[in-house]
Amino acid sequence: MSESVVQSGRPARSGSDWRLQAGQWATPVLIAVLVCLPFAVTGSWTYTLGVCFANSIGVLAVSVLVRYGGEVSIGHSFFAAVGAYSVAILEHRLGVSLLVGLPVALALGVVSGICFAWPSRRLSGIYLAVSTMALALALPEIINNADEWTGGFEGLYVSRPVVSGVGMSLQRYYAALVVLVAVTYALARLRHSRQGLKLLLARSHPAAADAFGTRRVWARVSVMGISAGIAALSGATLAFASSTVSPSGFTLWSAIFLLVGSVVSFYGLTLPRALIGGAFLTLVPQLLSASGAWIPVLYGLALLAVILCGHYLPKIGGMMHRRARGVS
Amino acid sequence: MNADAATLQGRGISLSFGGIKVLKGLDVEFRPGEITGLIGPNGAGKTSLFNCLTGAYRPQGGTITYAGEPLGGLSPAARAGKGIVRSFQTVALCPDLSVLENVMIGLSRKFHAGWLDAFLPLPRGRRERNAMREAALAALADLGLADAAALMPGQLPPGMQRLVEIVRAIVGRPSVLLLDEPAAGLNNAETRDLTRALRNLATPDLVMVVVEHDMDLVMSICDRIYVLNFGEFVACGTPAAVRNDPEVVRIYLGSDDD
Repeated sequence: MSESVVQSGRPARSGSDWRLQAGQWATPVLIAVLVCLPFAVTGSWTYTLGVCFANSIGVLAVSVLVRYGGEVSIGHSFFAAVGAYSVAILEHRLGVSLLVGLPVALALGVVSGICFAWPSRRLSGIYLAVSTMALALALPEIINNADEWTGGFEGLYVSRPVVSGVGMSLQRYYAALVVLVAVTYALARLRHSRQGLKLLLARSHPAAADAFGTRRVWARVSVMGISAGIAALSGATLAFASSTVSPSGFTLWSAIFLLVGSVVSFYGLTLPRALIGGAFLTLVPQLLSASGAWIPVLYGLALLAVILCGHYLPKIGGMMHRRARGVS
Repeated sequence: MNADAATLQGRGISLSFGGIKVLKGLDVEFRPGEITGLIGPNGAGKTSLFNCLTGAYRPQGGTITYAGEPLGGLSPAARAGKGIVRSFQTVALCPDLSVLENVMIGLSRKFHAGWLDAFLPLPRGRRERNAMREAALAALADLGLADAAALMPGQLPPGMQRLVEIVRAIVGRPSVLLLDEPAAGLNNAETRDLTRALRNLATPDLVMVVVEHDMDLVMSICDRIYVLNFGEFVACGTPAAVRNDPEVVRIYLGSDDD
C-alpha cells in the first residue's frame, strides 16, 4: 500500500520541479524589479506604488487572520489606525522618525489586538466579524474626539525623513517596500515554526491541538495579536508613504477593502499575492479613474475577473497538463 | 512505590449528559509498563471515559489521578503538558501541513523556541526545527512511513493517515498514551505494522490504553483488558480470562437465554 502511494507521489513531485524552481526565483526577481522601478516610472507612480505596498501589508494582516485563525475581520482599519497614529503622534510630539515609530506601532498594534481578542475569545465566524466591525465604526469618532492628539478631522502630516540626504519620494517608496518584504519574510518563517504548526492545527482540529498542549484561547489570542501587529505596521507604513493620516483613511470602507484585497489574493501570504491584493486597493481604482461614473461597475467586474481566473485557471492548467501527459 | 507513582487512576468516575448516565462510578487503574485494553459494544462509554481522562469532559463525580496527583482541575492542554497524549477516532491531521509537519506537532511540547524564533532567522529556532524534523523523520521511519514525509495527509489512504496520527501521538515519548481505535480503517498489513509498533513502544514507564474493536489486536498486545457495557465494567482481567468470561461472551455473541 505504502509503495503505491509513494510511487504515485513521486512523479507528481518531479513533474512540478520546474514550477518549484520558478517559484523560488519569482520572489527575488520581483523584489529586484521593484527596487529598480522608481528609476523607470514617474513620481506620481512612485507615490502610488508606495501606498500600494502599505496596503499590501494591510491585506496580509487580514489574510493571516483567515489562514491561521480561520476568521474574517471587517475592522482591521482600527489596528491600521493604531499604527498610523503612533507614527504621526510620535513625530509631532517627540520629533522622532519612522525608525522609532514603526516598532512602537508594532507593539501597540499587537497589544491592541490582544486586548480585543481576549474578551472575544469565545466568538467565531460571523459573530467575531461583526464585533470587529464595531471597532471600525467606533474609530472615526474616537479620532475626532481626541483631536488634541490626533489633529481631529484634518489629521496630521508625516514628513520627517528616515535618512537625511535622500529625496522624500524615494524614501516613502523604499520604506514601504522594505517593510512589506520584511513582513512576507517573517510570515514565511512563521509557517515553518513550531508556533505556526500549532496554530494551523488549532484552526483545523481544535480538539487535537488541545490534546497536544495547544490551548484554543492561546491560539486565538496569538493569531489576533499577530494580525493586528501587521495591520499596525501597514498603517504606520501608509502614514509615511502617503505623508498624512486622517480619519477618512481608516473607515469601515477601508476595512472592507482590506478584506476584498485579501480575498482577491486568495489569502496568500507571499509577496506576489500580497501585491495583487494591495493593487486592488490602490492601483485598480487609479487605472479606472478615467472612467468616471463607471468606476464601481468596472471595479466589480475586475474583482469578479480575478476571482474567477484564480479559481478556474489552476483547474484548466491541470486539465491541459493531464491531457499533454496522456498524449505523450 | 515507584510503579504506583506513574499509575493513571480513576475512582468512581461518573458522567451523565442530561438524564442519561454514560459512566456509572467507574474505578480504573492503568499501570505503567502495561498495555491496557478497553473494549465494549458501541455506546458503552469507552470514548467518554477517554474524554474524562484527557479533560475534554468534566465528570460529575469521582477523581482522576496520575502519579498520585489529581488531574481534576487541569485543562486538556495542561494534561498534555504532563505527557498525557491521545489519538482520535476520526483522523485529526491538519490538511494544510505535510505529514512530517503534522508529526512535528507531537514534539512541540518538548521545545521552547519563542515568538522571536518563529519570525526571525535566529540560530535557536533553526536548531530546534532541525531537531524536531529529524526526530519526526525517525519516528515516521519506525512505522515505515519515511517516504510519505513530504506528502500532504490528503494524498494518503485513510489507513496511512491513521498511522501518521499514531506516530504524532508517540513521537513525543508520552508518559500516558491513550489510543482511540487505532486500527480502525487499517488493512491487515497496516494492522500488523501497528501491532508491532505498539509492542515495541511499551516501556516500563509508559501507561498505554487502547480502545479497539479489532479483537485480534487487543488480545495479542494487551496485558489487561477492561470490558465496558452501559457505562459499567462487566469484566476485567488478562486476555485469556476475559475471552472466557461468560458475561463478555454474552455481550459480544448474544445469548439464547435473552
